[in-house]
Order: sequence, then C-alpha cells, then structure tokens
Amino acid sequence: MRILLAEDDPLLGDGLRAGLRQLGFQVDWVRDGAAAERELRAEPYAAAVLDLGLPRQDGLDVLAAIRRAGVTVPVLVLTARDAVPDRIRGLDHGADDYVVKPVDLHELAARLRALVRRSHGQPAERLEVRGLVLDSTTRKVQLDGAPIALSTREFDLLHVLMLHAGRVLTREQIEQRLYSWGEEVESNTVEVHVHYLRRKLGTARIRTVRGVGYQLVDDDSPA
Amino acid sequence: MTAASPRSPPSLQRRVLALVLGAVALVWLASGLFTWFDARHELDELLDSHLAQAAALLVAQQVRAVGETEDDDEDHRRIDAPSLHRYAPRVTFQVWHEGRLALRSSNAPTTAMTPPGRRFKPGFHTVALGDATWRVFAAEGAEHDVQVYVGERIEARLSILRAVLRSTLWPVAAALPLLALAIWWAVSQGLSPLRQLGRALAARDPRALEPVAIGGAPVEMRPALDALNALFGRIGELMESERRFTADAAHELRTPLAAIRAQAQVALGEADIDARRHALRATLEGCDRAARLIEQLLMLSRLEATQQLALQPVELAALARQVSAALAPAAQQKMQQVELDAPLPCTVNGDEALLAVLVRNLLDNAIRYSPRDARIELCLRREADVVMLGIEDSGPGMLEADIGRIGQRFFRVLGHDAPGSGLGWSIVRRIAATHGATLQVGRSARLGGLSVQVRLPAVDTPSGAEVR
Repeated sequence: MRILLAEDDPLLGDGLRAGLRQLGFQVDWVRDGAAAERELRAEPYAAAVLDLGLPRQDGLDVLAAIRRAGVTVPVLVLTARDAVPDRIRGLDHGADDYVVKPVDLHELAARLRALVRRSHGQPAERLEVRGLVLDSTTRKVQLDGAPIALSTREFDLLHVLMLHAGRVLTREQIEQRLYSWGEEVESNTVEVHVHYLRRKLGTARIRTVRGVGYQLVDDDSPA
Repeated sequence: MTAASPRSPPSLQRRVLALVLGAVALVWLASGLFTWFDARHELDELLDSHLAQAAALLVAQQVRAVGETEDDDEDHRRIDAPSLHRYAPRVTFQVWHEGRLALRSSNAPTTAMTPPGRRFKPGFHTVALGDATWRVFAAEGAEHDVQVYVGERIEARLSILRAVLRSTLWPVAAALPLLALAIWWAVSQGLSPLRQLGRALAARDPRALEPVAIGGAPVEMRPALDALNALFGRIGELMESERRFTADAAHELRTPLAAIRAQAQVALGEADIDARRHALRATLEGCDRAARLIEQLLMLSRLEATQQLALQPVELAALARQVSAALAPAAQQKMQQVELDAPLPCTVNGDEALLAVLVRNLLDNAIRYSPRDARIELCLRREADVVMLGIEDSGPGMLEADIGRIGQRFFRVLGHDAPGSGLGWSIVRRIAATHGATLQVGRSARLGGLSVQVRLPAVDTPSGAEVR
C-alpha cells in the first residue's frame, strides 16, 4: 500500500518512514506543504499522513486545497496540537483521522489500513472474492480455507487487485500503487508477480486484458 | 480614637465616627467657652453699671440728707437700712460721712469695705468680707466728706453665668448620643460601596481575573477600583502568556518525543543490523534534541524571571574565543570554517554566563543552518561607545519576512533540515534586552548569508586605552 508522508521534522519523518515500511507500506516522504499538495494531486496514494506545521504551506491549507481539487485520498493528520478546537478544525478541513504525537507505529499503521479500507467501502480488514480471503492486518491469504504463502510483493499486488476487484488496472496503475520513489521497477516486474500469483491461486482468478492490464475476476463470467 | 483593641484591625466606620464626634464635642466646648466669656462680660457690664448707679444715688441722697440733718446727733442716725427683699443678702452697701459710718445695709460690715489695709479709692474692687467675695463699687461726694460702698456677692454673678451656660450646653449634651447614633448610621450608609467592594472581592473565584464592577462606585473609589482592575488585567495577560508558553513548550516537546518513539519502535522491529543501528542512532539524536529543547526552555524561563542582573565588566573578545573553541568541533564536522576577528579587548558591562549563552546561540545557529563547507566569521569591533559583535555566514540567510518574525517563540525558518525550535533566538533577544544591547539581523554583504550584529554599551578600561 503506497502512502504519502508529509513531515518536516527529519528525525520523525525518517522514523515514520522506516516504521511504516516495516509494517508493509510503501512510503513516499515529503518535507513541505507545497510538495505534499503536488504529490497528492499527481499520484494515486492509498492514504496520506500529514503533519500540520509544515513549511511553505500549512497542512490545513494542503488539505483544503486537495479537497477543493477533488482528491479523495484518505488523510490522517498527525500533529502536536491536541486541543479540541484544533481537532475539529482539522476534521472540518477534510481530514479523515486525527492523531496526536507521539503515536505508536502499529496504531498509526492500523489507522491507515482502516482509512484505506473505508475509502474502498470495505467494512473489515478481510477482503473476500470468490473464496479467496485476504487479511490486511495479519497479511495472510486463504484460498477456500487453505492458507497460501505469498511473498511481500505478491501479497501487495494481490491486495491492490482485490481492492479493485472486477476493475481492470493498467500496469502503470499497479506500479504506482506498489512502489515508492526510488524503488527500481523493472519493466516486467508486475508480469512476473502476476505469474507467481496465478501459479499459487489458479490461472482463472487474474485475467489479462491484452494491451490494457489485469483484472481480478469477481464473478463467474467466462473470460 | 484608638479605642480599637490591638487585635481587631482599625475600622473606617469607628474612625469616622470618632473624628466627627470629637469635632462636634470640640465645637460644642468652644461655643460653651465663648458663651461663658461673652455672658460674663455682658453681665459684668450690666451689674457693674447697676452698682455704680446705686452708689451714685446713695451719694446724692446722703449729701442731701447730711445737709438736712446737720444738727442731729449720732444717736438719731438710722444707720441700718431695712432688708427689703429676700434677695437682699446678695447686695450690700455702706455710707460714710466724715469718717463715720452713716448708713449701712444689714449685712454690711461696720468697717469700710475696702480691700484689707487699703484706704478708700473710688472705683471697683473685689473684697473678701466674711466667707464671701464681693464686688464693691466705691464712690464719694464732691466734697470728699461722703463715701459710699455698694457691693454685690461675686457668687451671685457666677450662679447667673452657670445658669446661662447650662441652658446653652444642656440641650446639645442631651442630643450628643442621638447625634452619635445618627452619625453612625450616616457613616455606615456612606461606606456601603466599600463594603460592597469587599463582598464582591470575597465572593469572587480566586482565579477569576475579569474586572470588578461596582454599580455606581463613588469618585473616591474609582482610582482604587481602576488600579485593581488594571492589576487584574496585567495578571491576566501574564497568566495567558505563561499558559501559552507552557502549551507551546509541551507541543514543541511532542515532536522529538514522537521521533524517539518511532525510531525506537523501528529499531525494535528491524532485523537488518545496519537499519537497526541507524534507528538507534536516530533515537539518541532525538533524545539529545529533546534535552536541548528542555535546556532552552529552562534558560528562557530563568531569563524571564530575571529582573535585575549583577553587571560586571566582561571581556567579550576572550569570551568569544572560548565559545568559538567550544563549538569548533561541530563546525569541523560540517567542514565549516569559523574565524574570529577580535584584535582588541572589548570590555562590556554584563553577566558573563549570559553573554556566553548569547554568543554560543548565535554561533550555534550559524553552524546549524549553514551548509557544509560554509564560512562563518565572528568579529568584535569598537564603535564609538559601543562594542559591536558581528556574526556572518555564507549560509542561505533569511527572507525579509522571516527576519521580522525571528525571536517569536517557536518560530523557525521553514525548509531547514536542521532541527531547532526557534527558542535560541528568543534567548538571544532576551539576553540582549537585559543588557541594553541592540540586535540587528540582515543579509551579509561579504558572505551572502545571515548577518547578525549585537551592539553592547562599552566600558572604557585602561587596557583598551593602552592598546590604542
């Protein structure tokens, strides 16, 4: 799951990036408000962690600007200001969650997962498509009750496909959701992981739309 | 007036009551005295004129009588006049003819009513006869053969005077307790706004700082009330700034704390040894930062509590050398070049420890916010009667708008990677203010970065003169 982290404090930003990566997120880190707005408008992040006291452009202004621009990405505001009026202002500006520093990394991750889930209309941590069950908390996958062992990348790819079950995702869309900046993405990486996933889950579940992209099949309609 | 027991505090009401009653009593006594003297004077004039009149009558009558009874012998003389009225004992008279007592009232002595051992002398005398004192008027006929004495008991006059005084003083004396009650009531009515203020203050929440409002407070209470409300206002502002400071400080501490927590958690969950070491180092760095922040907060709060400094001559050049030496390792780590140009000793009046903090903060800022390989120059110059301490760097400098805002607590120039709370500037500003120094921030013409100039009042010392 690819998220944007907007935090100007170098030590905290570094820690949050490392911690969220450990917990299975792809993290892009920006250090000022202008960059945060630019990235949120350009890239399809699953969620964003936004500090309010950002240089160049205040976090609340970033929020208001992206909401005006129609960006619906779930935003978790992370701030030192804990007074109730501050929280209300944050939420009114379009924040989806409001967390006061210091925060536990696991809690932050859980809140981010919840935000992503809700933004996809999923009430639970479990995604289920035709007997295929994915638990984003435990990062476990079961097929018709039997556990399937997946690598990190395979899991992330499956997660993206299941979040958009039934829709066709282009390779670029998948890459944008899987990889943060600076990560080497070889031209056939997605194909390779799709190949492994098909081997573990059966070929019928992931359909290739030639020249377009991939689709997780969510009904029994023939290919 | 000081009737209040030593325990109970002085009461305004009792004080006003005592003063008013005392004044009334004084006026009352004064009017009594005046009445006494005035009445005595008028009475003396009236009664003396009666005495003189009576004497004149007796003289005239005796001269005629003597002429008519030239041949009468002594036996025929009626020397005792009849007593005519019950008040008669209060007056007396004697008529002497050629040295003999010719006529006298029944209560008159047989000797001449002159003061003892004195001969006849016309006019008024005070004579003691028997156990009473008499006012006597002596007169004589034109031929000096008839002498007449008319006397009146002094006691009689006194009793008249007493009666007059009684009738003027008694009504007031009787009214005095009533007056006291009336004054007590009036004073307590007059002081009611004071009691109202007392009640309003007592009923207040001790933490309440809104102005006290007394409906229709009298003019006399306005200054006190205004001063009180101004005090409440000042305390309110002070508490508000304290509260804001505490809140800001607490918030400011949350970020390093959050960083420490995040890094520690990363270290805990990290399997890769290098990544774990990185996280642990970052944890330590976060601790250092939090400690530095706390140190700065304490410094600032100490500075704000400081009212007066014990100033003494401080040699700024030596101080700047010490501070530069202490911070040199930090600059060397960033491959920065620090130069100090202080050719002459420059002595200023100040607190050595605080001035060291000021120089350290300025130099620390320059090192912190300048990139690698930057140049940082400190210089110390004597300018007329001030000592100018300048710090310039080749760093990014500051925007005009930012320069205006530095020194506000927790304001820091954005876009820097270097951690900082902006408290350093607050400390520098505060120290400069307590030393009467001016602070000038701008762009360095030579190095292109930030230029800070501190001007402190110089102290003329012999060493400075020698070098010149």
